[in-house]
Amino acid sequence: MVLGSSHIWATHHIEDIHAKAELGRYRIRGFSTFQKVTHFDDLVFLSTGLTRFPLEGYKEKCNTQVVLGARYASEPLVIDTPIYVTGMSYGALSRNAKVALGKAASLVGTATCTGDGGMLQDERDASNKLIYQVLPSRYGFDPHHLMGANAAEIVVGQGAKPGTGGLLMGVKVADNIAEMRELPLGIDQRSPTRHPDWLGPDDLSIKIEQIREATEGRLPISVKLGACRVADDVKLAAKAGADTIVIDSMVAGTGASAEILLDHSGIPTVPAIVQAREALRELGLYGQVSLVASGGIRNGADVAKALALGADAVAIGIAALIALNCNKEIPGTNFEDEIGVKAGYCNRCHTGLCPVGIATQDPVLEARLDPDEGAERVANFINSMTMELALLTRSLGKGDVRSLEPEDMAALTIEASAMAQIPLAGTNKVFGM
Amino acid sequence: MVDLDASALTTTELNRKLRELAAQGTEHIHILNPQARHNIAVGLLDTCSITIEGSVGYYAASLMDGPQVTINGNAGWALGENLMKGKVVLTRNAGASLASSMRGGEVFVAGNAGARAGIGMKGGSLVIGGDAGFMTGFMMQRGTIIIGGDVGEGVGDSMYEGTIYVGGEIGSLGSDAKIEEASESELIQVWETMERHGIHDRKKFTKIVSAKKLYHFDSLERLEKRAV
Ligand SMILES: Cc1cc2nc3c(=O)[nH]c(=O)nc-3n(C[C@H](O)[C@H](O)[C@H](O)COP(=O)(O)O)c2cc1C
Ligand code: SF4
Repeated sequence: MVLGSSHIWATHHIEDIHAKAELGRYRIRGFSTFQKVTHFDDLVFLSTGLTRFPLEGYKEKCNTQVVLGARYASEPLVIDTPIYVTGMSYGALSRNAKVALGKAASLVGTATCTGDGGMLQDERDASNKLIYQVLPSRYGFDPHHLMGANAAEIVVGQGAKPGTGGLLMGVKVADNIAEMRELPLGIDQRSPTRHPDWLGPDDLSIKIEQIREATEGRLPISVKLGACRVADDVKLAAKAGADTIVIDSMVAGTGASAEILLDHSGIPTVPAIVQAREALRELGLYGQVSLVASGGIRNGADVAKALALGADAVAIGIAALIALNCNKEIPGTNFEDEIGVKAGYCNRCHTGLCPVGIATQDPVLEARLDPDEGAERVANFINSMTMELALLTRSLGKGDVRSLEPEDMAALTIEASAMAQIPLAGTNKVFGM
Repeated sequence: MVDLDASALTTTELNRKLRELAAQGTEHIHILNPQARHNIAVGLLDTCSITIEGSVGYYAASLMDGPQVTINGNAGWALGENLMKGKVVLTRNAGASLASSMRGGEVFVAGNAGARAGIGMKGGSLVIGGDAGFMTGFMMQRGTIIIGGDVGEGVGDSMYEGTIYVGGEIGSLGSDAKIEEASESELIQVWETMERHGIHDRKKFTKIVSAKKLYHFDSLERLEKRAV
């Protein structure tokens, strides 16, 4: 046997030790976890046969519109597809990327979300429906922006780095970013992880009330949680008065995170949705508090499965970036020269060297991303996913994506059965019950 | 001048009323019976002058841009949180997270402040007549904090920029905070600020700033270096 066949000392562990022996600190990268975890691929739909009949798959009417945050908000968020663009900071992303995402969301009647570092006016102008994040850092936090938003999202944690705050390497803390964040130019920004003004769930309820007062009860208020102790966290967030709970799993994307957190904290999307659903059900609030899932949504099937498990909507990050040309060689780029790996292998958003102008603050690189063309691609992609979702829904004999339910699925593995709480394919057995 | 009896209104009604009166250009609003309620005078974006007779709960005079608010009493957590512009005066003691993330304007507390005063502060001036608790100025980014009395453990921990002046004893410095000699002109400025608030004791203030040793990671990977 050669060393390369060892599972314990796999080549990436050897490379990792070599790198850290030089570096003397934890390693940082973008994208998402490398762990192999149970995901939506481990679930399948049980489409119609003789027990129920399908709707015409390609055209019969199928509702995809959903309403988020109607629990207390007088103006809940109404989106035409249950897919919206997640919060990604201006700083991690370029201005052109933020504008493209805003325009794309507007084109398909959905929402986008600010992210760390405050709101970019161009992003507001591009986005018909904008969710404004309230993060521990409060960089650039402006009550005018809050009041002009369509929803507010209090970030407690992120799936890619639960228990830590934002991270932005100095190369990306360029002029405008440093000024918006009121930070020294070029510092390696490690943002706070605790909110400055509240600590526990009882304080959070007063914080939620404060935002509600400031926005005259109009805006739906969501609480974003990294998926760890999901059941307890969801109950506490719901009790604190959240209109919507966003559960962001361990497979969620990031612009920069310590690799050790990416791979070793949090739980996958599938069990996170199930635990959140059950927690809300236990409180009698399932259906009243909206549930959004994020982490590894790649196509219409992932969306459909997330909805069937109990989410009201999903948020997408990396998938939207890929639609913007992430990891794609385009005229003018040379991935190997510019970022050290072939297109298709890049996870180096944190370096600011993004060859396709998405995760960079370098004006030369940014110019490679045309916001209008980018918007069109992301809009096409969201439309494709929405069509895939509707197709699956009709094949299940349903005319509304809100009717998707766990009974529509079977699990392909014992693990997926246990985590999704649905029967293993070919059996009537739900494992782990 | 308009008198508002807070006990006859819900907090939401009170805030709505304040917003309306401020928008109409009402010069002075006088709030009675605040009952130490949370979230009084939140999100006011017009200039106006408000006096609150009595103690308030969490988040009083927060998310504001412009108003001048005087509170004759004590305040709970996060008084003046995220203040953009304007002024907040408290005649007695403040709870934790005083003026957290404030970005501009002025907050003055005549008495003592709890833990984390000026946490994440991004601008403006925070003046505390008495003592301040632990983690004062935690991760402060810009602005000035003046503490007339003593300050607790970990002052100025991980601060980026900005200055903290302490008139009394320092519990301990936080990581990456250091003491620097205050110049004569800086001391005069501090004294004058205190005198504007009626505190005439010309103490030898200690100046605390960032040591700036945590600005950067000590090392970078090959590709990260290429970018710098
Ligand atoms: C480039 C990038 C920047 C991000 N910035 C933020 C942020 O500022 N605030 C936040 O709450 N989450 C941030 N996230 C996490 C996303 O909001 C979201 O949780 C995650 O991308 C969802 O997983 P997905 O990428 O697999 O769809 C960021 C993600 C990426 C990829
Ligand atoms: S191509 Fe750009 S956005 Fe995609 S992983 Fe690489 S650096 Fe990040």
